[in-house]
Formats: sequence, structure tokens, C-alpha cells
Amino acid sequence: MQEADLQTDPTPVNVAEPQPAERAEPSAATMISFENVSKIYEPDVAALRHVTFMIEKGEFVFVVGPSGSGKSTIVRLLLKELEPTGGKIVVGGRDLGRLRRSKVSRLRRNIGCVFQDFKLLPNRTTAENVAYALKVQGEGRNAIRRKVPEVLNMVGLAAKMDSLPDELSGGEQQRVSIARAFVNHPPLLVCDEPTGNLDPDTSVGIMQLLYRINRAGTTVLMATHDREMVDKMRRRVLALEDGALARDERRGGYASE
Amino acid sequence: MTARLKLLISEAWRSTTASLSTTIAATLTVLAALFVLGCALALGTWLRSYGDSVKQQLLVKVYFCTDITCPQHGYASAKEINRVRVKLESNPQVKSVTFVTRDEAFKQMKKKYPEYTGGVVGNPLPDAEDVQPVKGEYTAQIANSITSSNLPGIQKVNYGKQTTKKILHYANVFNVLFAIALVILLVASILLVINTIRLSIFARRREIEVMKLVGASNWFVRLPFMIEGLIFGFVGSLSAVVLLLLGKAFALPALDFTKAPGAHAIAFELNALILIGFGLLIGAIGSSFTLRRFLKV
Repeated sequence: MQEADLQTDPTPVNVAEPQPAERAEPSAATMISFENVSKIYEPDVAALRHVTFMIEKGEFVFVVGPSGSGKSTIVRLLLKELEPTGGKIVVGGRDLGRLRRSKVSRLRRNIGCVFQDFKLLPNRTTAENVAYALKVQGEGRNAIRRKVPEVLNMVGLAAKMDSLPDELSGGEQQRVSIARAFVNHPPLLVCDEPTGNLDPDTSVGIMQLLYRINRAGTTVLMATHDREMVDKMRRRVLALEDGALARDERRGGYASE
Repeated sequence: MTARLKLLISEAWRSTTASLSTTIAATLTVLAALFVLGCALALGTWLRSYGDSVKQQLLVKVYFCTDITCPQHGYASAKEINRVRVKLESNPQVKSVTFVTRDEAFKQMKKKYPEYTGGVVGNPLPDAEDVQPVKGEYTAQIANSITSSNLPGIQKVNYGKQTTKKILHYANVFNVLFAIALVILLVASILLVINTIRLSIFARRREIEVMKLVGASNWFVRLPFMIEGLIFGFVGSLSAVVLLLLGKAFALPALDFTKAPGAHAIAFELNALILIGFGLLIGAIGSSFTLRRFLKV
């Protein structure tokens, strides 16, 4: 991927996109595989019902649906914040059900995550927040000095390195959290309503950023109910309704057509 | 390795200063709890050793016959006295036996109570053995074993039955009370400190959640908190020791009951060491213990 390519506008182009397979076996090219996954919150709230899908490496996938349809549950299952009640989840070749608790931190270092509420550490500057993701995996001082400005440059916040989160706007905070998620260059980026707290113009900027990250080879899964965004991007859409997978379209819109 | 250590310490320092008010609260809690604990330790050990010294004074006295007290028998012979001595020394409950001749006894009495002995003609006192038991509790058994042996030449065996009983009783009650008080104090101070730590960690639970989400291992989150715990445990206990030291220097000389002979409180250095060790332990373990449930993210 050339540098020039990353700077282009995120209008959909004809990049060779993997087909969302209907009924395929997981292969080396599979990033995420959900197999008949259910999640029931105690005592009897079914958040996911027998959900099955597969996401290939390099895809950009929206997970859409109304509040309470199970979008966030998918994100939390991917991070092994929750355990599924039934079914099998494989991320990057790792069966999460067999992953020991002590290895969860290693899994998360390979999954960048971006949240609606940014989840920045409040008493650390922009640069320190990004550096934290490197420090937790024992990255050396030199590497941190090199990588942090690089990624902050990419998200356009090089000038705000020393600002604290509450000195930044919502859009800027979300850029910091994207920078933190991407600084390790993880193979997978998971976003839970990343534009949920932002105004439409700011949201477009965030989406452009995510699009660029995807173009650089990172698989992106984004849970959202931003109708306009989904319709404009025309990417693969997984639609959830009441915990069940209602639709899986390769270039879908927010609502079924 | 050193880079890792530096990172750890800088993270700990950051979390200590970032939540200064809770750190101060935790430090003061440790200070208060350990100060009370230190006072209790000093007072308790002093009272115990006072009790022991009183017990040390418990003696069995064996009085031998004189011509007045045993008119049929007359003075106990050297042979009889020796047999009693052998009997006493073979008893494992006996620590030492001191023979007090009637002349010595009379001399001592004259010195102690000149007003009573002034008009006394001759020496009415008997020879005696002062028997010191290994433990104060043995006095009754030793006295009984001599009485029941019916050795000739003994006029009377005396061990201050009532006084001994009382002293032993109070000493036992006190030992139990001291143990209970110490346990209660320990538990109370542990709970107090853990509760303060819990508040401090609870205030930062969101931060911990974020750390875990970006891939920090449990130890990476836990160690800075533990070091922070060590810091306030150390500072708190050290301040408690300083306060106790001031108390020892200024308040203690004013209380003259502490000058009783033979009684000693726990050595101050040992007391200080116990408090600091306890402060460190409670800080580190309290922190990691409280953290457990917040790490399950």
C-alpha cells in the first residue's frame, strides 16, 4: 500500500474484496469466525441467538441493528470480555473458548478497540495514552518515541501531543483512541459505535480514518447505528435483530432493500 | 530489566500522585491503626512481663523444727535438712533451693522491721528453705509433695495459698484478654486499611478497565498499585513509629507505674519493626487483594 493511496478520499473503489462466504470452513484467510454463538445474560436475556458468520482478513464490516440487538455483545465477545453461553468464536486462528485467562492480554494487544466513550486514561496526555498501549507489551523507549509521533501524525493530532483528554474535542479524543488502537498495527480493529457521540461532520473524518486503516490491510469490524454512514460506505453489512443475524450483505445499506 | 523496573516505578509514582487525596487518606489510616497497635503491643507486653515478674516472686517456704515449734522433736538435724533438700532438688518443677539459716533470717528481719525485733531476746526463727518453682503455677504442687512426704524435721510448708491463687488467676485472665484485644485490633486495622484502599481503587476502576482493554496483563496493572500500597504502608507505619518514639520520650517518664522492677515492655526496636513490617504487608497485600475483582474484565 503506497502512502499516496492512503490519502485518497474514502469513496468506494474497486478493490478486490473477499466474498463473504455463505457456508465455508474457516481457512487461513479467516479473521473472525462465529459458529452458532449464543449469549444469554442472567437470568434470561438472550443477547445473541445462534449467530454464525465469518469475516475474512482485510474486510470492512458493519454490524448494524437497533439498541439492544446484540452489537456490543459481539464486540465484547471478541475481546473475551464476556464468555459466550454457547458456540465457538475463533479470532485470527485462536479459539477464544480455549484461550486461557492469562493469555487474554496478549489477544487484546492484537485487537485494536475503539469505543463510543473513547475510554482514554484521563490523567495522561495524548502521547502518553497512545504510548500506554505500547508499554503494556514491553515496547522499548526508543520504539515508543518513534511510533507515537508517527501514528499521531497519521490521525492529525501531532500538534496536541501534550494535551489531556478533557482539553480535546470529542472528535479529537476519538482520534486519540484510534491512534492508540492502531499504534501496534493490529491485524484487527474493532469499533463499538465510534461515531455515536460525534456530530456528522466529525463522524466523516473518523470514518475516513478507519477507511484508511482498512486500506492498509487491517480488518475492521464496526458496530454502529449511523444509518447515513453505512448507506454511503456500501460495505459488507451484518444486520442483527433481537440477537439473531437477520441479514449479511456484501455491499449493503443500513436497512434491507 | 532495569527499563522494566523504571517503567513500573514511574507508573506507581504516577498513580500515587494522581490520587493524592486517597493516598493521604490511606496513609493516615495506616498511621492511626498502627499507632494504636503499637501502643497496645507496648502496654500489653509490659503488663505481661509485670505479671511474670510477680509470678517470679512466688516462693514455697519450708520451715524446719525448732525447740519451740516442735517440743517433742527439737531442732531439725542437719541430716533431716539435707534429706528435704535432696527431695526438693530432685523435683523437676523446682528451679532453685536456697537455704536460709535462722541467723540470716533474724538478721534480715532486724533490718526490715527493727521496731518489732528490738525487744526480742534470742532468735525465735527457724531454719528454712526458700524454694523457687520453675513456674509460678507449680507452687501448690511442690508444697503438697513436701507435705505429703512426711519427712521428719519439717514444721510447716507455706506458699501463700490465697495470694498465689489470685495472682495466677489475674495473670491468666490478662493473658487471654490481651490475646483477644490484639486479634481484634489486628483485624480492625486490616479491614480499615483494606476499606480505604478499596475506595481508592474503586475511584479508578474505569481506568483499570481501560488498561485491561488495551492489553495490559493483570500484573502490569497490579504491580504499580502494590508499589503504591508499599509506599503508603511504609510512610504510614514509619510515622506511627515516630509518634510512638515521641510518646516514649515525653509521655512515658511522667507515668511512674512503668518503673516497676522486673517488668519490661517489648523492645522498642522490635515493636517498630513489627509495625513497619505489618504496614508494608497490609499495603501491598491489601492493594492486590482489593484489585482482584476489578481485574476480571
